[in-house]
Amino acid sequence: MINKLKKIIKSLSLSELRSGMKITGKELFNTKITVQYPEEKTPISPRFRGLHALRRYPNGEERCIACKLCEAVCPANAITIESEMRDDGTRRTTQYDIDLFKCIFCGFCEEACPVDAIVETQIFEYAFESRDGSIMTKDRLLKVGDDNEESISQARSEDAKYR
Amino acid sequence: MASITIEIDGNIVNAKAGERLITITDREGISVPRFCYHKKLSVSTSCRMCLVDIEGVTKPQTACSTPVSDGMKIHTQNEKAKASQKAVMEFLLINHPLDCPICDQGGECELQDVAVEYGSDVSRFSEGKRVVAPSDIGPLIQTDMTRCIHCTRCVRFGSEIAGIMEMGGTGRGEDLKIEPFLAEGITSELSGNMIDVCPVGALTSKPFRYELRSWQMASADSVARHDLVGSNLYAQTYKGLVKRVVSGDNELVNETWISDRDRFSYEGLAHENRLLLPQIKVEGQWKEVEWNVALDFAIKGLNKNALNSRKAHKLGGLASSTATTEEFYLMQKMLREIGCENIDYRLNVNNLDDPIHLDSNIKLSDLECVDNVLVIGANLRLEQPMINLRLRKAQLAGASVSALNVKAFDYNHKTNHSTVSPNEIATILAGALKVILEKNSLEAPSYITNINPSELSINLADKLLDSERSVIVLGEHVINNTQAASIAQMVAEIAKQVNGKTLNLTSSANTLGAQYAHFLPKSKGMNTNEMLAADMSAFLLLDIYPEYDFHHSNSAVEALSKDDVFVVSLNSFNNELVAQYSDVLLPMAAMYETSGSHVNINHDMQSFAAAVKAPEEAKPAWKILKVIADLLELPGFHYENVTQVSEELKHQKIYEHKQDITIDLGKKSSAIETIWMHSAYHSDALLRHAKSLSSSKIGQTNSASMNTATAKELSLECGNTYLGVPVVVSDTVADRCVFVSSNQSTDMGRES
Repeated sequence: MINKLKKIIKSLSLSELRSGMKITGKELFNTKITVQYPEEKTPISPRFRGLHALRRYPNGEERCIACKLCEAVCPANAITIESEMRDDGTRRTTQYDIDLFKCIFCGFCEEACPVDAIVETQIFEYAFESRDGSIMTKDRLLKVGDDNEESISQARSEDAKYR
Repeated sequence: MASITIEIDGNIVNAKAGERLITITDREGISVPRFCYHKKLSVSTSCRMCLVDIEGVTKPQTACSTPVSDGMKIHTQNEKAKASQKAVMEFLLINHPLDCPICDQGGECELQDVAVEYGSDVSRFSEGKRVVAPSDIGPLIQTDMTRCIHCTRCVRFGSEIAGIMEMGGTGRGEDLKIEPFLAEGITSELSGNMIDVCPVGALTSKPFRYELRSWQMASADSVARHDLVGSNLYAQTYKGLVKRVVSGDNELVNETWISDRDRFSYEGLAHENRLLLPQIKVEGQWKEVEWNVALDFAIKGLNKNALNSRKAHKLGGLASSTATTEEFYLMQKMLREIGCENIDYRLNVNNLDDPIHLDSNIKLSDLECVDNVLVIGANLRLEQPMINLRLRKAQLAGASVSALNVKAFDYNHKTNHSTVSPNEIATILAGALKVILEKNSLEAPSYITNINPSELSINLADKLLDSERSVIVLGEHVINNTQAASIAQMVAEIAKQVNGKTLNLTSSANTLGAQYAHFLPKSKGMNTNEMLAADMSAFLLLDIYPEYDFHHSNSAVEALSKDDVFVVSLNSFNNELVAQYSDVLLPMAAMYETSGSHVNINHDMQSFAAAVKAPEEAKPAWKILKVIADLLELPGFHYENVTQVSEELKHQKIYEHKQDITIDLGKKSSAIETIWMHSAYHSDALLRHAKSLSSSKIGQTNSASMNTATAKELSLECGNTYLGVPVVVSDTVADRCVFVSSNQSTDMGRES
C-alpha cells in the first residue's frame, strides 16, 4: 500500500525526467567526443595491429629471410611460406601468403620476427572485392610496406622505449 | 664387470664397474647435456658440456669420460653442476653466430635446445666474433664452419667409421678450424652421416638447403632398397613430396648409419623424366590416355600376341632387382597363372646356364666378430658400404682381411690385396681347397687332383685353417666370370671345410626378395638370355632400363624392338630407348611411393609403407599388376592391400634352383678380360636420376683401368677411350685385364 503511494508521488513529481535532463544539461556544456568518421579519425596507438606489411631495408633489400618462425607461431595457421636459396646464396621466400580471413590479428608474427620484416600496420580500412582478395601475397605485402614505411618506422620508434 | 650401485641425484642406480657415467644416465633417462659425445664414436671430452658434480671430487667432472666406481654419489642438477654447465655454454656461445633464423639446423639443433635451458639471455662478450671462410666440400654437404663448436664428431666419424679421415682440425685455440684436408672435399660413400652427427648447423644437407624447417615435415619409417642391407631410415615428407632422408636406428641392420646413396637417392623422385601418365603407341605415335584405355590396350595386345593363340610360352616377364618382394610375387603369380614360365630378374648375367649358387649364412651383426675375411671380386666400400663398415670393424678388432680382386681397390681398412685376373680365381681357390682337404686328411675330388697349389693358395688356405670364425665374401665382379658357378661351388666347399660362413654379394638390391617370391624360371621356363634370343611375341617389363640393366644391352634392345613383339612396360622413368621398344607405358610408383617389403642379407623381410603418394597418374606396381590380373580374369587376385600379398608369400621358402655343376677348371678365355661395373651411384634407376649424387666424385667415376702392359697390347694410353670409357693406366690392375667403372650406359659398346 505504502509502495504504491510512493510510486504515484514519484511519477507525478517527474523526478526521473528531471534527473535525466540534468545529465543532458551537463553534457550540453562539456567537450564533445564524437568523431565524424570518415572525415575525422581517432588517434591510433603505435601498437595497433592492423593490416600486415613486409618491410625492406633502406637499401631496398627485403628483410624477410624465410626463417618461418611467424608461420610456426601463427595460432590460426594463416601464414604459408615457401623458401629457397636465391641466386646470390641467401635464404629467401618464394611465396609468403597471409590469409586475412584466417588471421586473428594477434600480432604473434610480428613478435616472432627476428628481423622486423612482417609487421602489423595501423591500416584498418581495407576491403576485398573478390574471394581470393583475402590472400595477401608477398608482392601485396611488400607494397603495403613500401607505401607505408614512414608510418611503420615511426610507430616502431615510438614504441621502442617500452620494449 | 662387477655389478655396483651408485647414487645419481639421490636415486640408487645399478651399474657395472668402469662404465662411463653418461651411458648410465642415458640408460636411466637422466638428462645430461652434451655435444661431443656420441654413442657410436670414441670419447673425446672436448666440449665439456656434460660436467657433473661428484661428491668427494673438488672439480666438476665430465660424465662422458668418467668411469663409475662403487658408492659414487653424483649430482647432475645441483648448483655446482648447473653453474659449470652454464659457464661452458657461455664459452661455446662466444663464437657461435646468432644466425639461427637462416640456419638449416634451426629447430633440430642440439646447441639451440641446450642454450634454451643453460644459455644466458644476455651476452657478456663484446669483442669481435670469429668468422671462418666458407669452403665447398662437394655437392652433398653444405658447410658453414663459423657455426662449428669443435666437437670433432665429424672428424671422429671420418676416422673411426667411414675409415677415411677427410675432415680434421688445423690450428689451435681461437684459430682451430675443422676443414677437409684436401681441396677435392669429402668423397666418402658414408659422408652424409656427418650431417646427422653434427650437433650444430656447421654441416647440413646441400640438396635440402633452405627448403624447409624440421617441424614442417612428416616423418615416415622406410627401408632403402639400393643394396642387400635394407637400411632403416626416415623419409621426411612435405606436401606429398619426399624432401629429405635421415637415418634410422636398427642395431641388426644399419646401426645408426646409412650410405649416401640411401640418403640422397630421393632426389630422383622429382626428376623431369618421371613417367606420369599412361601412354599407348598407336601407329608409331605416343598418345597419353586414361588408365582404363591403356590397360585395355595392354590386355588386347597381350591376348592377341601371346594368350588367345595359346602362345603363353612366347610371353616373357622381366623385372628389375629393385622391385619389392610383393611386386615380384604378384608378377610371377600372374604369369604362372597364364601358363607362362619365362620369368627372370637376372638381367646382367652373361651366362645363366650355370648360375651362381651360394647361400649367405652370416648375420650382419656377426660380421663384426669374424677373425678372417676373404673377399673375392668386390669393391665392397662402394658396392656394399654398410657391409664393408661391419667388416672394417672386424678388421680393426684384429681380423685379417684378404682380397682377390682384379684391381687393388682402395679399401678403407688394412687388406692383403692380391690382384689376379678373373681367369685365375678358380685355380687359386681350387689350390686352396686342395691344401685344406689335405690338412683335413680328406680325399680331393678329381677336378683338383692335377692342381699344384700356388703360394697364394697355400697362404689363403693357411689363414682360413688358422681362423675360428672366417667368412668368404663373393662379390659382384664374379657374376660374369666364365667360371662363376665353379667359383661359388668351391667357396661353399672351402667354407664347409673350415667351418666358416659365406656371404653372397653377387647381386644387389632386393634379389633375395625375388628368390623368396620365386621370380625365376622353373623347369621348362626360359631365363633372360634365352628369352632375348628366342622368338618371343610379348614382354611384360617391370622398371627396366636396358641401356644400364642388361649385360647384352644392344641385343636386348634389338629383341624388344622387333615389330611383332608387344611390350608392356611398367616404368617409373621414361627415356627414348624405353619409348622405342614399348607399346604401352604404365607409370609406376618409385621408392618411397609404394608399400611392400625388402629381404636383406639377414633374410629379414622388412616391410615399409608408402611415405608419399606417387605423382600424377603413377600407381604402385602391385596395384597395376593386380588390375592386369583381374582384367585377364585370373582367379586369386582379390587383394585389397599389399599386406594381404605379404601374408600370402610370408610362408614361402626361398626358391633354390639346384643344379649339379661340373667344375671344369680348364674353361678359360684367352682374350683380355673386361669387368664392367656401373659406378656405385648408377646401379639403379632412381640413383641415376638423383642429381647431387651424380655430380659427386663417386657418381662422376668413369674410367677403364688397365696396367701398362695391357694398355700397350691394346695400343691405348691415358686420354684414349676403351669401349667408350676414358682409359686410366694404373699398375694396380692385374695383367691382361680391364676394370671399367662407369657412369655411362652400357650400350656405349660393352659388346663391341
